[in-house]
Amino acid sequence: MALSALSRALRSVSLTGGGRKQVPSQGLFCSVGVAERSRASQVSLLPSVSIAVSQWRGFLTTASLEQNRKFWKIREKYTIRPIGVKKTGGRDWTGRIRTHGIGGGHKQRYRMVDFQRLRYESGKEEPFEERIMEVRYDPCRSADIALVAGGNRKRWIIATENMEAGDLIKTSGVIGRMAVAAKEGDAHPLGALPVGTLINNLELLPGKGASAIRAAGTSGVLLRKVSGTAIVQLPSKHQVQVSETCVATVGRVSNIDHNKRIIGKAGRNRWLGIRPSSGLWQRKGGWAGRKIKPLPPMKIYVNQPSASART
Amino acid sequence: MLKTPVYRCSAVATGLKQLCFSSECGSCFLVLRSSRHGNRLLSMSSSVCGKALPRRNPREVVEINGLEKITYAERKHFVPGLTKPIFPPWERDHQNPFYYKSPKPEEMPLYKDKPCFVFHQRTNLMEGVKQTLWLTKSKLIKGIPAQIMALADNPANEIENQDDRVQNAIKHARFWDTTENVPPRERFCPTLLNSLLHLCGLQQFKHPALGKRLLCQKYSLAASWHRGEDLIQVRGKNGMLLNSMSPLPAMAEREEVLGTADSVLETFYPISPTIDLQNLNVFDAKTDTGFVEGYPYPHAHTLFFTHLKDGHHEQLRAKMVMYAFGNALARARALYGPEPQVLEKPVVVQSVATNGRLFQFLVFQLNTTDLTTDTGVKNLAWMDEDQALYDFAKVRPLIKKKVVQVPAGLAGYHPDTFKKLLAFYLHGAA
Repeated sequence: MALSALSRALRSVSLTGGGRKQVPSQGLFCSVGVAERSRASQVSLLPSVSIAVSQWRGFLTTASLEQNRKFWKIREKYTIRPIGVKKTGGRDWTGRIRTHGIGGGHKQRYRMVDFQRLRYESGKEEPFEERIMEVRYDPCRSADIALVAGGNRKRWIIATENMEAGDLIKTSGVIGRMAVAAKEGDAHPLGALPVGTLINNLELLPGKGASAIRAAGTSGVLLRKVSGTAIVQLPSKHQVQVSETCVATVGRVSNIDHNKRIIGKAGRNRWLGIRPSSGLWQRKGGWAGRKIKPLPPMKIYVNQPSASART
Repeated sequence: MLKTPVYRCSAVATGLKQLCFSSECGSCFLVLRSSRHGNRLLSMSSSVCGKALPRRNPREVVEINGLEKITYAERKHFVPGLTKPIFPPWERDHQNPFYYKSPKPEEMPLYKDKPCFVFHQRTNLMEGVKQTLWLTKSKLIKGIPAQIMALADNPANEIENQDDRVQNAIKHARFWDTTENVPPRERFCPTLLNSLLHLCGLQQFKHPALGKRLLCQKYSLAASWHRGEDLIQVRGKNGMLLNSMSPLPAMAEREEVLGTADSVLETFYPISPTIDLQNLNVFDAKTDTGFVEGYPYPHAHTLFFTHLKDGHHEQLRAKMVMYAFGNALARARALYGPEPQVLEKPVVVQSVATNGRLFQFLVFQLNTTDLTTDTGVKNLAWMDEDQALYDFAKVRPLIKKKVVQVPAGLAGYHPDTFKKLLAFYLHGAA
């Protein structure tokens, strides 16, 4: 960094060598739009500029801040191989801090987890089974992940509580007339599951992939089913109403003792890539202390027909 | 027009941010240079200090038929009000291998609609040997065939001072072959295999038929066959191949071969047997032994693999089965033609793999080239797994709690393993 600063400074010095030469060099580096726009006033302007112009140039000549321009996660083809992750330190594409408190930590590799559990192999649109090959730790999330193999493919999924290598898990998109007797780890549409089932990896929109109830040890409850929709209680006790074709996995997410682990020291949080918060003293305000808030109203993720259309 | 920015800039230093991105930015720049250049940080550019605006979506370009756009292509620089010229993509008028772009797979001459499952050197089969048995339609028998064991147990076949010479070969590979402290596996594994093969080859004065052999490296094999509806192919470079002028005798008698029709192939639902094989649409479904026709050593005798990784022995054994089968199939097709049939004289190929300490032995007998269905006569594979030539070869002693657990030097030599290797080598000549 220091070297690049020095070289830039030297470059700008070399530009402003003699008094007379400044005018053409200025014209060269001035942007074309500026030259066009200020053509009328050029005659009167340029002499004053040539005196004033000294040591800086109006635009960047070197490529900088390119380190996070290419996002490491962009990849067309699915793979089970772990991918190297570039740490951002909470910075966005311009290099500014977007999220505070991120930085450092152990090197991690990303394993592509397939959240869309009901992803058929090409040409086979029927319920299928897969075998668990391995259950392992994943640095990128709190839950464990499982490698499953079925047909001609292998993929990573989020492991449930009692998943073990060698188990068979079933994935189905069928909603029958009777509720299924699902065992843990199976994935079914919400409409096929009995009311009161503990579920995880819930899709909020059908076919989009699981986006709720994915953290370690969490589970939701299927509360009731109303006319093509299902109402689910999330781990936060909020309720959501989703379509009954949304697929969810039965059971509780693995690593149930995640909330009981002892960090032990400040440095262990640094290993995890969490930086300390600002030490600035701030007076406690309304945010501090006990709050009792009513639950927000149920969030609806289905397009229900409007009241006028129903009558 | 210019006066207002001047006032703003001189009054508020932070006004620079907004001004740089205002529509009048050009004129501001000029004035700023005259007034505030002294306060600028030379290592920073204005674009770094600027506020990060969200990325804008590209503007929609409206195409109107019959209207020609006036571009600034002739002027060779940007002109406000004129359209940005769009040039055809530049094409190189000469060949440059560094910038070669391959055509799309669909446009290649070898493209086929139905994919082929390819097994090559870097393939790691998930189910290991079990999966290869399904792919090659084979039945596995543990242990080494009786004919070869008889050769191994016959004291007449022993080399003079056999144990000493083998131990010297091990010590050469593990201790004396390097100026460094410890030779890596990449070095000692091939060295050991070559010295042991040299020891075996010294028996030519007893068995002159050993002279009608040739060891060959880096030959390329291709063998393809249909299994069910899938086309499967074994191809590429593999281990060292010992060729011979005469074929190996069949290991199993005719009755035993016909008896394999009753055995059932193991499947592993829900996993497909072709998992982990490379799925290719561009391929050449050929069967080729890797040698020209009329080659004086047409029969594959033994295939040697050196395994340079720690562990993964199941993958190694799978590789041995697949390549031994591929060699046998290619040779059977060359001898008996491409029609699927139960072979009159089965083709036998042996295979030995080592990681420098453990040895894997395989004898593969190709009974049939009719591989499409699961029923009928199966092929036969005899396998002897994880035979240690020695237990430890330590440069430094292994000490735990001040007690020497393993002394330095060679420890725990197993003479039987070399006897088996020698029997594999002499098989067909003695």
